[in-house]
Amino acid sequence: MKYEAPLEKHSVKIREAVLGQGERAIRIGGENTFPFHFFEGSLPNSQGLALEIIDTQPENWAPWVLEPFQDVITNPADWAKKCVEVFGAEILCLRLLSTDPMGKDASPKEAAETTKKVADAIDVPLIVWGTGAEEKDSQVLTEVAQVCSGKNFLLGPVLKGNYKEIAKAALEHGHAIVAQASMDVNLTKELNIALCKFFPPEKIVLDTTSSALGYGLEYTFSIIESIKQIGLVDKDNMMLMPILADFGGDCWRTKEAKEAREQGILWEAITGITFLLAGANILILRHPDTLKLIKEMISE
Amino acid sequence: MILIGEDLNVMSKQISQAIKERNPEAIRECVVGQTQNSMDYLDLNVGPVTKEPMETMEWLVKTVQEFTDLPLCLDSTNPVAMEAGLKVCNKKALINSASGTSESREKMLPLAPKYSAGLVLSVINDTGLPSDADERAASILESLEFANEQGLPNEDIWIDPVLLPVGVDQRQVTAYLEFIQMIPDLAPGAKSLCGLSNLSYGAPKELKGLLNRTFLVMMGRYGQTSAIVSGFDEELVRINKGEMPDIVKLIHRAMDEDDMDISSLPQKELEYVKTTQVLMGRSLYSHSWLEV
Repeated sequence: MKYEAPLEKHSVKIREAVLGQGERAIRIGGENTFPFHFFEGSLPNSQGLALEIIDTQPENWAPWVLEPFQDVITNPADWAKKCVEVFGAEILCLRLLSTDPMGKDASPKEAAETTKKVADAIDVPLIVWGTGAEEKDSQVLTEVAQVCSGKNFLLGPVLKGNYKEIAKAALEHGHAIVAQASMDVNLTKELNIALCKFFPPEKIVLDTTSSALGYGLEYTFSIIESIKQIGLVDKDNMMLMPILADFGGDCWRTKEAKEAREQGILWEAITGITFLLAGANILILRHPDTLKLIKEMISE
Repeated sequence: MILIGEDLNVMSKQISQAIKERNPEAIRECVVGQTQNSMDYLDLNVGPVTKEPMETMEWLVKTVQEFTDLPLCLDSTNPVAMEAGLKVCNKKALINSASGTSESREKMLPLAPKYSAGLVLSVINDTGLPSDADERAASILESLEFANEQGLPNEDIWIDPVLLPVGVDQRQVTAYLEFIQMIPDLAPGAKSLCGLSNLSYGAPKELKGLLNRTFLVMMGRYGQTSAIVSGFDEELVRINKGEMPDIVKLIHRAMDEDDMDISSLPQKELEYVKTTQVLMGRSLYSHSWLEV
């Protein structure tokens, strides 16, 4: 008798989110099956791979991470342009590290101006990332939302303590958001329920917070995997958002990545591909060679 | 189900103060209130009692017995305090608790046959808390064998499968339900007991009661014999006395996934159904589970 492998079909799908605008807008999510399960369902959009840029001089970066950006590192707009034109990034993530209240504490106005310059220099979707300081992020990201009204950014991280302010500004000015709950499926759902009372679920991307290979990667993997299973198998409407994994910083902080260039790139790439296998829909990467490597792996 | 009131607890500032000052007034209020709310036993949770364990326990047991005729469940991790309490109990007491750990076997468990007391025996052993129903079974079988050898019959043993907060690990809640159905086969004659309020630890204050009451019905259906509960929850007592049969029936139907039109249910009934769904592990728990 001929054996036929059973197929698992799901009646719901991950919501499709649109990032950016115009010709280079990107769609993520929309799948009704698990990652890479092409044999079982439909995965209409490939995963989004973003390169990060920082609005201030990076500190403690290994020389081989600085090297590709050496000529543009003092100017975020040039840095962004190079990532798109030279390194082929299809999404960028601008980190507003200068706004860190424990550091330079730059004003929301300055941050919004930088963001606008970066956005004007490129035509790909932009993720704009705060520092995780709830109160300051709320001021910074609402200002960014307003100054760059209509650009359809992905603003984050949106947390339990500031979701109302940021989501309200995002809604008013046409942006999507990243809801972040650290390594906890129950709290992820909690935040989504609170958000969905006034914010459209198709404009929400989830961040579980991520750890690098050797530094807690397996916890992130399990959480991302659980969210996808609860969404697709249990049909939990509050868990059907696309997922973002942000780990470049964590990878390049490791001893291993600082030891040698190749090792660092592999560290970041293996971490990234693992999260794609878990179900992540967007990765934020630091090194352009990692981007290239992961792109090659998933296009095969 | 046999209900044990949990409110006499050193975690309460008032109670801890009253014990420290040997002031019977606050104790009286707590004891009388729970007795009037139809509790079957009162739990005396004194914690590890590091200071004057014997005097403290003896004073507390004697004081409580002045205000109630209910039997007592002595709740301490300190075997010295436990023994001092057992010596002055008027009625057959319950020791809360022993486990399968070597230390507990050596120091706590032997007090039960010695004072002809009942014994709460948890599934915890030297490797910690078993993660599923089968491991719980293996652990409790070993402990039971040991207890029986020490002269303690199953009839005096109250098995505690250890109930974890639904907000911590939902799968542990379903594992609990699975395990209690195995108890009559594993330990014929033994009772089962849990700290019911632990289920709602971390949940919003105003919703804890709903979680606890729903689960009381659920585990009751699967043969649970007793629970340590909030001694002042009047609705829980009414459910337990069979005065709310419609709610019980509704929870049973929700457990069985009976087709029901939940949109037509009144608020209170709807809340019980949604809570049952969460506790059956069918819908992911979040603190706002009633809002979806």
